[in-house]
Amino acid sequence: MKKVEIFDPAMCCSTGVCGPSVDPDLTRVASAVYSLEKKGEDITRYNLANDPAAFSDNETVNQVLHDKGVDALPITLLDNEVVRLGAYPTNEDFAEWFETKTDELTEKPRVRVSMKLD
Amino acid sequence: MYQLHNPAQDVKTPVLFFTGKGGVGKTSVACATAVSLADQGKKVLLVSTDPASNLQDVFGVELSNNPIEIPGVENLNACNIDPEEAAIAYREKTVGPYRGKLPESVVNQMEEQLSGACTVEIAAFDEFSHLLADESILKQFDHVLFDTAPTGHTLRLLSLPTAWSGFLEESTHGASCLGPLSGLGDKKDMYGKAVQALSDSEKTTLMLVARPEESTLFEANRASSELREVGIQNQMLIINGLLQSHDSNDEVAIAFYESQQDALSQIPEELKPINTLSLPYVPYSLTGIDSLRQLVSDHPFVDRGNNNEDIELNQLAYLQDVIDDFSDRNTRVIFTMGKGGVGKTSVATNIAVGLSEKGHKVHLTTTDPASHLDYMFKNSDVEENLSISSIDPEIEVENYKKEVISAAGELGESELAYLKEDLESPCTDEIAVFRAFADVVARSENEIIVIDTAPTGHTLLLLDSSEAYHKEMSRSTGSTPESVKALLPRLRNPEETEVVIVTLAEATPVFESTRLQEDLRRAQIAPKWWVINRSLSAAGTDDKVLKVRASSEKQWINKVENELAERCAIIPWTKEANLNNDSKITQS
Repeated sequence: MKKVEIFDPAMCCSTGVCGPSVDPDLTRVASAVYSLEKKGEDITRYNLANDPAAFSDNETVNQVLHDKGVDALPITLLDNEVVRLGAYPTNEDFAEWFETKTDELTEKPRVRVSMKLD
Repeated sequence: MYQLHNPAQDVKTPVLFFTGKGGVGKTSVACATAVSLADQGKKVLLVSTDPASNLQDVFGVELSNNPIEIPGVENLNACNIDPEEAAIAYREKTVGPYRGKLPESVVNQMEEQLSGACTVEIAAFDEFSHLLADESILKQFDHVLFDTAPTGHTLRLLSLPTAWSGFLEESTHGASCLGPLSGLGDKKDMYGKAVQALSDSEKTTLMLVARPEESTLFEANRASSELREVGIQNQMLIINGLLQSHDSNDEVAIAFYESQQDALSQIPEELKPINTLSLPYVPYSLTGIDSLRQLVSDHPFVDRGNNNEDIELNQLAYLQDVIDDFSDRNTRVIFTMGKGGVGKTSVATNIAVGLSEKGHKVHLTTTDPASHLDYMFKNSDVEENLSISSIDPEIEVENYKKEVISAAGELGESELAYLKEDLESPCTDEIAVFRAFADVVARSENEIIVIDTAPTGHTLLLLDSSEAYHKEMSRSTGSTPESVKALLPRLRNPEETEVVIVTLAEATPVFESTRLQEDLRRAQIAPKWWVINRSLSAAGTDDKVLKVRASSEKQWINKVENELAERCAIIPWTKEANLNNDSKITQS
């Protein structure tokens, strides 16, 4: 089974809208990752702002960051090898790596736990 | 017209939150209320979040985040929590271990993402929650008073199911506005209790504090309706600093009194049903326990003497000197910056008119409704050189939100809810407005541009890092508009751009302006001019109440001139300075 890890740049809000521009790729990637996770595939995302340990502990990623700086993010690893730098994988990439079809990658995440505070 | 605030009678719940715009006197009102309740024999805990640490001056004792007894006031305990510090501590806890391990550019990006207003807001809520959820505190004290309140944005974020489900951490991409609450699951019970306590009318009262000025009443109204919507129904309004009587031979005093009465006669409809009390405009500053006691006593007016007489002020520059300076140096883009209510628009307008009178072509862009500008220019012959446009922040923010939501493409229900809440953050407003005036600057040629608002250093640094990002990447992902990219280098160039800091000669506005300046310096923008607006001491008055206040301005004028500003100008208080308030109300 293939293992994919995506290392995101730091974002102050989950959707990136606190920044000056919105990246429509973020939601596409979120849906793809969600769909793949649900199928039991080995795919993980790390955000620099809340999980810097993942960036510093992973030797490959740490090396890329030292060589190229923060602009190398997002970084995608496929079985510990760098496959994408500075841009997210396309749905075609995901489909190829996990031997699936692109139209199976667009499932919308649903709320699993709900809690009312009032 | 409003009854005087009498804490013994008015306070009916164990928990009180004070909210209002910066500079309205939340901390003073909270302190006076606390002292008065303690004097009645109630056990009181006062929780201050005042980063200026005014409270230490007020009580003459060093405070920390652990409650201590206040000497001289039996039954009163106080503590000071600094959300700014809590946010810094959180940031350092997150970022610190990676210095040296990850490259500097990476560490810098992490730091900037955790430097926004949201981080501070959430850190503050975290601090409140510890106190609100702690049963032993409520058992130990009859009243717990907070000199600030959480915002609707924070409370709404916490009540979204996505904030709690762990879903965001697992499968999307978010440190999010909830950054400082990471490891949120552990705290769910505590936050749940805190939110519950807030919306329990038997337990909590929201004290809205305003001054008899349109902008602070407007802010009170906004906070009132926003917090009512998230369930905080029990509210009270305190009009602080109401001039009760005035010297009818003194022009400044007459105008001052009338402008207060005008503002109150146009109080927002939604505030009218709220139980409203007042505190008088008093001829002494509210430091020291005795003056706080006196403020809520039945004899608030006795003169307490004046300890600023001995401060000698230098002759300061006037606004004309600022205008001459810009004219001589051929400055092309001028921003006026300051917290709401200090008169940024009128200063920007006067600079624009002044420059056009000197023969420059000027374009003025304001975020205030244009109607009052028309009024201001009726009698002026500057029209030939001066053009005006306005940016309506509400419309810009709406457009920006629509753009973001459509750019985000197809979204799940919970993601959409989360995206929408992220868009309610203060950063969004700033970015939307910044984009709008970047367009104005990009469109204009051969004109001096004067803008009555400026981006914070935080926004500039975020914009900057994204610009670098786009430059480096062959494949651009997001969509930073061209006009925004073009504006950034121009903003940094002191030959071309000046930011004028507008403030008032009072503690909180000076403190807030200091922070704005520090924030801009982080983004390598060094403001040169500070303008002290609406100064009573520069106006000159013989009214016995106003005269003492005028004299209390001196220490702040001194501080701005000697410690904070490279150059400093002063504008005397005039009724005209408040004209925009009047016409704004009639327009809406």
